[in-house]
Amino acid sequence: MANKVFNVQIFFVVFRESLEAVIIVSVLLAFLKQGLGGPTQDREVYKKLVKQVWFGAIGGFILCLILGCAFIGAFYSLKNDVWGKSEDIWEGVFCIIATVMISIMGIAMLRVNKMQEKWRIKLAQAILKDKPENGSRIGHWAKKYAMFILPFITVLREGLEAIVFVGGVGLTSPASSFPLPVFVGLLCGIAVGFILYYSGSTTSLQVFLVISTCILYLIAAGLFSRGVWFFENNAFNKKTGGDASENGSGPGSYDISKSVWHVNCCNPQIDNGWDIFNAILGWQNSATYGSVISYNVYWIAVIVVLFLMLYEEQHGHLPFTKNFRLRNLNPSYYLKGKKKEELNEHQKEVLFDEIKNKKFGSTVSENSVVPERQSLTENRAD
Amino acid sequence: MHSTLICLIWLFCTMCTAKVHTFHWEIAWKLDNPDGMKERQVIAINNKTPLPTIRVKTNDRVIIHATNKLGNQNTSIHFHGLFQNGSNSMDGPEFVTQCPIAPGSTYIYDFKVPNQEGTYWYHSHSGPQYGDGLRGMFIIEPENVDAYPFKFDDKITLSLTDWYHKEAKEIKKTFMSRFNPTGAEPIPQNALFNYTRNATWHVAPNTKYFIQIANMGMFVSQYLFIENHNFTIVEVDGVYVKPQMTDSIYIAVGQRYGVLIETGDFHENFRFLNVIDKPMLDTKPAELQYISTNWIVYDDKKPLPPALENNEGSFDSFLQNIDPFDDFNLKPLTKSPLMEAADYTINLDFKMENLGDGVTYALFNNFSYVAPKVPTLMTLLSSGKLASNDKIYGTNTNTFVLQHNEVIDIILNNMDPGKHPFHLHGHTFQVIERSPPSSDDNPITYDPNNHAEFPLNPVIRDTVMVNANGYVVLRFCANNPGVWFFHCHVDWHLEQGLAIVLVEAPFEVQKSQSLSSAQLHVCKQSRVPTSGNAAGRYGKSEKDWLNLEGENIQPQPLPPGFTLKGYIAFFLCAAFACWGLLSIYKYGIEDVAADDGEEMIMKLESLLEENGGLGPEDTRPLTGEDSNA
Repeated sequence: MANKVFNVQIFFVVFRESLEAVIIVSVLLAFLKQGLGGPTQDREVYKKLVKQVWFGAIGGFILCLILGCAFIGAFYSLKNDVWGKSEDIWEGVFCIIATVMISIMGIAMLRVNKMQEKWRIKLAQAILKDKPENGSRIGHWAKKYAMFILPFITVLREGLEAIVFVGGVGLTSPASSFPLPVFVGLLCGIAVGFILYYSGSTTSLQVFLVISTCILYLIAAGLFSRGVWFFENNAFNKKTGGDASENGSGPGSYDISKSVWHVNCCNPQIDNGWDIFNAILGWQNSATYGSVISYNVYWIAVIVVLFLMLYEEQHGHLPFTKNFRLRNLNPSYYLKGKKKEELNEHQKEVLFDEIKNKKFGSTVSENSVVPERQSLTENRAD
Repeated sequence: MHSTLICLIWLFCTMCTAKVHTFHWEIAWKLDNPDGMKERQVIAINNKTPLPTIRVKTNDRVIIHATNKLGNQNTSIHFHGLFQNGSNSMDGPEFVTQCPIAPGSTYIYDFKVPNQEGTYWYHSHSGPQYGDGLRGMFIIEPENVDAYPFKFDDKITLSLTDWYHKEAKEIKKTFMSRFNPTGAEPIPQNALFNYTRNATWHVAPNTKYFIQIANMGMFVSQYLFIENHNFTIVEVDGVYVKPQMTDSIYIAVGQRYGVLIETGDFHENFRFLNVIDKPMLDTKPAELQYISTNWIVYDDKKPLPPALENNEGSFDSFLQNIDPFDDFNLKPLTKSPLMEAADYTINLDFKMENLGDGVTYALFNNFSYVAPKVPTLMTLLSSGKLASNDKIYGTNTNTFVLQHNEVIDIILNNMDPGKHPFHLHGHTFQVIERSPPSSDDNPITYDPNNHAEFPLNPVIRDTVMVNANGYVVLRFCANNPGVWFFHCHVDWHLEQGLAIVLVEAPFEVQKSQSLSSAQLHVCKQSRVPTSGNAAGRYGKSEKDWLNLEGENIQPQPLPPGFTLKGYIAFFLCAAFACWGLLSIYKYGIEDVAADDGEEMIMKLESLLEENGGLGPEDTRPLTGEDSNA
């Protein structure tokens, strides 16, 4: 089945999440630069704050790693107990879960700029959200190290999200296939993030992202088809009262009435090398109507969704509608009241202006924060 | 002159003493519970179970009016082991020598039993029907008790069978389905000893008993063993043999043994075991009683020894303690030396394979037996001069045409890991060689240039076991004109097509045998044509007879790889994947384009500023963000 050493899905998940973490750091640094990086401003404070951001990010990252290892470790030992039989029906379910997860996050990778934009708004709002805490020691401390806490918490949150995703897509693989793709994924994500920060979004980077997303979706399509195949295999095994696929690849190991093609070799479950072919392209030596149709259905779904997203970007709304956007289809849009949180262009401008004016470091350069703050507000009140 | 007179007198006497036994049998369903574990519908004759034992003397005539009152199935009766010399249409197998007897129909079996003595049996030959209970013993006794070549004080019959709780038709459906891809034979629920279990046989001490044993089962062979007693084999499949002592008997389905037991001067009771041959089963359920205990009772007042347990290792330890005599080494009593070299040899290579419907079939030389549209005997009788052309009997019936009085060899190479009991209708044969068993990756096939010496006085019987991945060579003389079936007697394998048909001396059959109007009427009632080739075609010219369009054939083989369907599916998948990748590319590249757009505007703005394209009135910046600049 899946590769024993390198799980491709895990690689892509970690890649994407680390990319996002790097973007967070880069956005924060960009804000700092805008606010304090100019030649006329306080170099000392700027350096201190930059250090805070880095420490926060790395701190959050390390904590993530520890938690991640612990979680995956516990998850796997539990999995072996509970699902020790590794039945086909579980395999099928895990494949489908992995497909859904990968499909959702794959799109985001193609819109790195969107990702950047989203983080600029989020972080800006977070920074400006300071409530005046009168006399509270923790509040004081929090404000002093706001540039540490913010990246720390954000990276931690993103990292935990990544762990859950990794758990989800890695369900079908042995534990030995985890470390290598995690490591390589981190490396790639950080590398791409740096390139992004220093060179801005370029065409070559975008092409790279497109290619990696293509591979990701090929894998996801293969996974979806494999999930359906496992379900059909499970049904056949139940009816024959045993594991027919254990009889090898020959006649009688599959249900002839559901077969679209069958060759007696190249079985991804048994033969070496063909499991990689299966992991990347969903190859089965014994394809069923279910596995073939689901493969095509998946691609059709991807094509349709991408078309709709592209249309919305270009025209501002979905085809044949007015002002109806994909976001409107998300139920949490209405539940969480996200409608109110949407900023139009003007509001975004105001937000970014405020950031520029914000005096970073006013909390760092003085011992007591409160008077400074009060004076500012007093000034305003006057 | 003198001898002719004696002959005539003898013949006259025989005919005088030869009796006619007439039976009227109504074959119908009845509720019964022979193993005491499940009540089910079984087949009864005249509402009685177990079915009656027919007891006749040699040269007698038997007339059976068999009426099918089953209501939902066809039926037929085959008399296993009887030569049916001159009465081929009374042999019984559907679509070989007769039409099926439809519900409500009556078939009259009318035949004589000259030149035969011993233990035989009768059973249904309509699919797996005899497993539902249409089976019984058929004993042919000599003229008088002194004519036996051995002495005994009393005789009894013993029938052994396997027993299923479900009806045979139902079992066949799950057996022959693509969800049974290994072709695993259905496992019986029990073994029966004279149609019951835990039987007791009361014996007198110091008495010689002649026991006539038949295995009337569907599938498993059985071992017989009596504690503290030996058997002396005196008859095998109706052929008397030189008495051979043995401690146990191994009897396969279809086979019969006549044995003598001498009871001793005992005052206690002993176990009489019948044991299922466990290795024949593909799965070995723990709750199945492989060892069934019955008792030979000397003294009613003494207790019976407890029944033997059926634990994990019980069967293996039972096997270790017995040494059944190999029937290959039995010697016929009357002098019947090895027949000289064969005039015609039939080579049969047998293997099991999944065909295109996913079901496992049994193939002889890559052909599974599929019943023709017209029973083979009727094709023979209606085809005139073409009766010796084997093509008219069908391409999927494994038919061989034999010439009258030729010596025939059948070489059967068993390339299957199971052992099989093969039975020939209408004949006994000499078993001239049998190889030991072998493994799947190294099956032993017969090599005419390199084989053991044929025995000078080979054993003669009509049902013989071939070993796993081994072979057996049989020899007989084609002196019985008729259409004879040769098949594995594991009935499940017969359903899978493990059979051939021998059309023996067709022109002699046409000269001396014909069908009665009653028999033709049965065909009309079961809507089976009575003339034509295997496809039901006939005509004036040979071409008509050789036209087999529409004949019944076996399913196509499994597709060996990619078919058109597969190529199309593969192409579609690749096409959709490419389209999908293209749309990902298009969507992804858009991000760059958008950026470029903004960049372009900024570039344009700076260019205009530099070159004074923006007049003093146009100091409004084009983008909102630089309002503080």
